[in-house]
Amino acid sequence: MVKFLNKGKYLKKMLLGLGDEMKSIKNISTPYLFLLPALIGLLLFKIYPIFSAFLQSLFTRQFLTVEQVFVGFANYSSLFTDPVFWNSLKVTAYFNLIINPLQVILAFGLAVLLNYQIRAIPIFRGINFIPVCISIPTAAILWDIMLSPEQGVVNSILISLNLSPQPFLASDSQALLSLIAIASWRGIGYWALFFLAGLQEVPKSLYEAASIDGANLWQRFKNITFPMMKRPLTFVVVSVTVANMLLFSPMYILTSGGPKQSTNVLMLESYNNAFLYSNMGRANAIVVIILLITLVVIAIQFKLLRPKH
Amino acid sequence: MKFRIVLLICIGVMSAFLFGCSNNASQNVNNDVSENENQSENQNDSGETQTISILAHSNYDVGLSSVIEAFEDANPDIEVNLELAPFNELMESIEIRLSAQSTDIDLLFVDAPLVANYTLKGYLEPLDSYLSIDPNDVWVESAVNTVTYNNELMAAPLNNSSMVLFYNKELFDKKGIPYPEQDDRMTWEELVEIALELNDREDGVHGFTFDRLDRAYQLLPLADSLGASMLSEDGLTSKGYTNSPVAVEAFTFYYNLFNEWNISPRISEEESIDYFTSGRVAMFLGLSHSLPRLIDSNIDFGITLHPYFEGGEIATPTGSWSIGISKYSEQKEASAKFLNFLTVGDGADIMFKDGGILPVHLELIDHIKNDPFYDEFPHIATRIAAQESEETASPRPLTPGYLEWDSNMNRALQDIKNGTDPQDALDAIVDVIDRLLERYEGY
Repeated sequence: MVKFLNKGKYLKKMLLGLGDEMKSIKNISTPYLFLLPALIGLLLFKIYPIFSAFLQSLFTRQFLTVEQVFVGFANYSSLFTDPVFWNSLKVTAYFNLIINPLQVILAFGLAVLLNYQIRAIPIFRGINFIPVCISIPTAAILWDIMLSPEQGVVNSILISLNLSPQPFLASDSQALLSLIAIASWRGIGYWALFFLAGLQEVPKSLYEAASIDGANLWQRFKNITFPMMKRPLTFVVVSVTVANMLLFSPMYILTSGGPKQSTNVLMLESYNNAFLYSNMGRANAIVVIILLITLVVIAIQFKLLRPKH
Repeated sequence: MKFRIVLLICIGVMSAFLFGCSNNASQNVNNDVSENENQSENQNDSGETQTISILAHSNYDVGLSSVIEAFEDANPDIEVNLELAPFNELMESIEIRLSAQSTDIDLLFVDAPLVANYTLKGYLEPLDSYLSIDPNDVWVESAVNTVTYNNELMAAPLNNSSMVLFYNKELFDKKGIPYPEQDDRMTWEELVEIALELNDREDGVHGFTFDRLDRAYQLLPLADSLGASMLSEDGLTSKGYTNSPVAVEAFTFYYNLFNEWNISPRISEEESIDYFTSGRVAMFLGLSHSLPRLIDSNIDFGITLHPYFEGGEIATPTGSWSIGISKYSEQKEASAKFLNFLTVGDGADIMFKDGGILPVHLELIDHIKNDPFYDEFPHIATRIAAQESEETASPRPLTPGYLEWDSNMNRALQDIKNGTDPQDALDAIVDVIDRLLERYEGY
């Protein structure tokens, strides 16, 4: 009987223990269940396309039979021996090395100016946001007309100032810089918004305290504004990098990668391979390389810009 | 932490498998195209309306709309959905949709030199079993040859094209220059001399412009006139051909028009006809089927023959559109019915009359040659074009990689127009083209 009672106690204890275990499993699984819809979305729309692009980069389509044939890393090895790919890589690097710092610095400067509490400042903020509201294709066509060597308004202004007209998009030495100017014209106002939001979050009391301590404008900027802006700065720097690494519509619309391939960025090369030459394997190999380069650059940016506070 | 990472990887792999399976499922769906086809044809038997879609070049809007109207009247059980796109967008749309094996296009416009390319990519359905005619009895031989691949008719020729030189009489009068004779063919050298006299930068007038600027289609006759071949005989090598000394000489002429003599405005092809109709260009080497637009513009113009280089051969642009049935169409029978109507039946007449195209239909060409209507100005332009397409036409290079050659060549021509040295521009593209053509070896 005692033995039985002990057994019963043991069973009860065991069941209670199991219940606790179940409870703890339930406690652990609950957050995952809540996360599941987001995780599924992430897998479906973020991870799967990357996985699919990588997979497709290992295949090529055969003529006539239209079969997908596994070629391993042949698409990658053919890229590394192709001067067109290396030129595109060089153009992409050159484009990003100029446009990213330019946009970040100008957007930051613009945000600082727009943060001054002067009369009618909302109007100035609104004006700077107007280019953002214009779609990239529309902006590209607009600038194409304005930069036309034959009848563009920009050259008319240059001539009226006794300066010689410029070829802009028609010249291999000016086309990429013209595209940088067009993309920045549209992008700076947008990125400045994030900086402006960050600037407005900096407590005024810090500036007041610094002023009492005798800090000048540059010292206040260096010791208060800049450190307090590291989080928005990180966001903007990373976003600008990603946006410009993937930017290709102005090149597609305005220069088709020319003159002499001087604006043939990697994304445009990938697009042409996919949708002009129907070489999906090569196009996906380029996309995977762009992804890897972007990831490395972003990792470095995160490391360098990590806030210390 | 490790457990979570493993869990995430497992979910990733599982979802990849799931999607892999769904891809297989979609392939199975594609494999069942023929079953669907039978079903839709059965639906037709039961009296339901079928809708077929045609993806076409936007320049042919007027003619095609009239053809569709007539076809739908004659075939109330078939509805035709017309989808229009400009040249570059049309090329891209075809590539994107047919490489994805899309079933939403039944018929498509095919630029004649691309027939081999599309056939290799598996985009086109052979037409021999769908057409009830002997192609050589109906269409001009050169047109039939361009749409035939491996002895199979892959597309049906829709039209031909040629160019004539239009000139603005008012601008000639202003400078006191006599009009060119209608049947007298000028040399390029003579044309440049006249254009230089007509050039009036103060009034914003340029002497001359091509219609299809920066397009190999129009500019190849420059090279042909000097005897240059753009590709090797097998159509797979451009180095030494596209950048040969003769080709460079031909395209240096193109360079000089914009950069040395300044007689042509640096504009896009979309603007060229407007420059002529608005009196900003004195001579316009344009497509004969631009005639209705020129008549509508009320400009006082004259017509003469396409120029050639002194001592060189006479060469004029040719070739144009054909119509193919998509391999992935689920309504091939209905599509073939429309194709027959458009290219062999009444549609061919309507396209000629309403669309103003230069036909490839032998009967219509005879009509142009013999009808006194075409003796008179300005309709004589159509007769000149018909004659040129038979006697002086210079076809584009034969290669399965025409798309690759053409897109790079057009970019080089644009660079030449914008001031790049012709030798540099052509040298820069030949290696690119040859690498792209490598994948066609053996086909």
